Amino acid sequence: MIRVNDRWDIPWHEGMTVGDVLAACGFTHHYVAVSINGKLVPPVPHASGGPVPHASGGPAQHTQPVADGDHIQVIHIIGGG
Amino acid sequence: MKILVTNEDLCVACYLCEEVCSHAWFKQVNRSKSSIRITALGNAEIGMAVCSQCGECIDVCPTGAISRDKIGVVRIDKKLCVGCLSCVGFCPTLTMYYHDDYVEPFKCISCGICAKECPAGALSIETVEDAPVTVTERRK
Amino acid sequence: MPAPLITPQRMEALKAGHQVLAEFHYEPRPVDKGYAGQTLYVNVSDNTIAAKPVDDRMKHTFTGGRGFDLWLLWNAVTGKTRWDSSENEVVISAGPIGGTTQYPGTGKSIAAAISPLTGTVVDSNVGGYFGPLLKFAGFDAIEVQGIADREVIVFVDGNAGLVQIMTAPEESVNTYELAEEMVALFGKTPEEKRGVSSVTSGVGAGHSLIGCLNLSFYDIRRQVARLKQAGRGGIGTVLRHKKVKAVVVKWVGLKGDSLHPDDLPTMQQVGAKMHREIYERDPIMFTMRYDGTNHLTKVMNDYDILPVHNFQYGAHPEAVKIYSPEFVKFFSLGIPDGCWYGCTLACAKCAEGFEIYTGPHKGERVTVDGPEYETVAGIGANCGIWDAHAVLEANFYCDTYGIDTISFGTGLAFAMECYEAGILNKQITGGLELNFGNAGAMLEVLHQIGRGEGFGVTVGQGIRRMKQIFAEQVGADPKFLQDIGMECKGLEYSEYVTKESLAQQGGYGLANKGPQHDEAWLIFMDAVNNQIPTFEDKAEALHYFPMWRTFFGLNGLCKLPWNDVEPAANRVDYKGIQAAKVPEHVQNYVDLFRAITGRTDIQTGEDLVAMSEKVYNFQRLFNLKMGYGTREHDAIPYRSVGPVTNKEYESRAERYDKQLRELAGIDPDGMTTDQKRLALRRYREDQYEKLVDAVYKRRGWNEQGIPTLQKVRELGIDYPDVVTLVEKHS
Repeated sequence: MIRVNDRWDIPWHEGMTVGDVLAACGFTHHYVAVSINGKLVPPVPHASGGPVPHASGGPAQHTQPVADGDHIQVIHIIGGG
Repeated sequence: MKILVTNEDLCVACYLCEEVCSHAWFKQVNRSKSSIRITALGNAEIGMAVCSQCGECIDVCPTGAISRDKIGVVRIDKKLCVGCLSCVGFCPTLTMYYHDDYVEPFKCISCGICAKECPAGALSIETVEDAPVTVTERRK
Repeated sequence: MPAPLITPQRMEALKAGHQVLAEFHYEPRPVDKGYAGQTLYVNVSDNTIAAKPVDDRMKHTFTGGRGFDLWLLWNAVTGKTRWDSSENEVVISAGPIGGTTQYPGTGKSIAAAISPLTGTVVDSNVGGYFGPLLKFAGFDAIEVQGIADREVIVFVDGNAGLVQIMTAPEESVNTYELAEEMVALFGKTPEEKRGVSSVTSGVGAGHSLIGCLNLSFYDIRRQVARLKQAGRGGIGTVLRHKKVKAVVVKWVGLKGDSLHPDDLPTMQQVGAKMHREIYERDPIMFTMRYDGTNHLTKVMNDYDILPVHNFQYGAHPEAVKIYSPEFVKFFSLGIPDGCWYGCTLACAKCAEGFEIYTGPHKGERVTVDGPEYETVAGIGANCGIWDAHAVLEANFYCDTYGIDTISFGTGLAFAMECYEAGILNKQITGGLELNFGNAGAMLEVLHQIGRGEGFGVTVGQGIRRMKQIFAEQVGADPKFLQDIGMECKGLEYSEYVTKESLAQQGGYGLANKGPQHDEAWLIFMDAVNNQIPTFEDKAEALHYFPMWRTFFGLNGLCKLPWNDVEPAANRVDYKGIQAAKVPEHVQNYVDLFRAITGRTDIQTGEDLVAMSEKVYNFQRLFNLKMGYGTREHDAIPYRSVGPVTNKEYESRAERYDKQLRELAGIDPDGMTTDQKRLALRRYREDQYEKLVDAVYKRRGWNEQGIPTLQKVRELGIDYPDVVTLVEKHS
């Protein structure tokens, strides 16, 4: 069982990834910061608008694996109204 | 359009271009007022950062202060500029510069003075194909 | 082709109607460290014009913007003043940071008045050039009092040092033409044109209580007057009632140091840094530059928070028809626009050559500013109108008629649910078939408000009066109307479904002006991220965020650059709520405030919050002065809390059954939907009361929601009449 945001329980399966957890929760927002047991999942590296790339700070890697019993925090980065 | 072309292989990082540029345009020898910036990057590599006249800043300027002159060089009209520095932030090559002695930013205008003075022949003024027309220019 | 074209003949006709009723000359002087140092008073009853000084106590207590508005209005009205009393005022102010060019989002103003909808002070945030230009013209704020005996415009020429009240019989009342007329009259060269900004409303404001203000900014590329709105609370209705067609400022000469700041280098440094951050981060975050605020519609629908059919539901399969791409199709140029110089977040969008299908402009191709999320969600989703063209056409008419798109959308959604429920019928509506989704009927309601005739005028009275009218005149069940009428304090709700976020229910219910989300937007933090699980956590958030966000309105700032873009390292360097505060941006604002004003007593984000707390509590007491401001006025309609009907309950039965079991300790097995719905209601209503208790305590208010005398003294707002007011209610 995976516990998400200390509120929802999701059944775990072999080979489950962060992406699978997000899909199971219906979390479709493109920009989430994810922690597994308190440790931040590294962001997807990306290039900026021009030829000067920068390495840090993007949405979390969806390919990161999750283990049974993990506590996952999915923080939606959204400014809102 | 006329642009300043840099040759990193020939540059010896003497910084003379920075000194003559700031002196020509701001009457001071002050590298932080130069429109060309030479950086020793390590591993004998040298960075030469100067405006490519791409014109992306033309579309970002809120007052229409930025436009091309007759030889295609991108120029700032200081009368219209309100010093918002949007062009500084949005320059793809980070070659729009500012200094806190001035409200308006500044950039290379292909005057060629640095190319004349460069002892290593690492700078030259060349005529190249025009950059793509910006939305602002098309609208005019 | 600039539209609409003001011909030379039209110009002559306008000028021929101008008779100067009053004139005031003053010595233009530069702004000093963010302040002009005086405010402008204009009375259109007796045609007095005067300058009032701004002293240090006013700056240190009220800062500017909303604070100045409240202080000026407090001294202008009594507890008995109504929205249509002569002494009511329209007050507009930007704030000390307003007019900065280097940092994004620094051109905002706050407009305020005693509201026709709520009966107390409403403050409404608005972009455009007016507030900053007014300050450079020589005035930190303008107050317009009185009622003119014929239509006038108020004109401030900041370069000449001249204020005039002049008759304006020929000018259009509606903004689409009027804003262009003002630019044509007072601006000759392109530089002068962008130095002109007008405050206008429209005929719709005169026939409803939901009138808005339009504040213009001249678009140099499209050569048109673009529009931003002070939408909330019916301030446009007040301006129309005063027979003031426009308040216009003209000032030329803007430079990056026009504020004469204490420390320009810091402004440049923090501004250039922020522009670069937006360049790199906006494309991967919320694409404000490309999509504008309407990027939100898809997210809200995905998370079941988009208001659908009068807030009954949070999503709809047809919502995709009003997602951002459907509107981007209409936008021209592809260059995003800021509504003040140097805003690189540039969320403003513009459609040109947009064909109008209905009403007085039928067949014309017009220029219209792209719809905000609120307009798309309110007129589109909430009314079930999945039609981008209809939404944009409604946006156009709301702007020109001077009508708040939020109160119009939420109000119409209420009328539609009443129609669907059989409370209204075609006989009552004069033939309008107010089913959800009827775009034609929606536009006809709008035009009826414009013409001042028909059932549309009833919709334009707002939900609180509609509830009264429907109960009295068609025998509707007042309890049902109370449950589904989405208003609090008399103001219509803005467009977020709060059923699953107790914190946001409080964010709306406890907001000073009424349910506008500009105090707190906590939905994701609460319902999705689960970052504020306890009452104390929620109360802390409902203390910090409204206070923090008040800072923007005191200073001429837009909130978008605060958290609609974040530094790359924000979630690495900071965790949880700390990260949600975006500490690096808070520091930017500390630096900016200090750099402009030179105030060394302001050193941290906490100091900015403390600045806001004074004004926030003062506004709560202003409500008290006007006869409101106590706990019962913070009550919210059940539609904002949970499922009102069995149909609503059954649409999310699994979720609600689970909550009954896990949160309320009630086993739903064997219960009817009726019983489950009522059990859930009892639980949720009780939760709200507990939240209110926790928030009052955190804010330093008593159980009635009144700031204590101790709090008032602590905050330095213990003016004699404030103390008298608090003592009277103790």
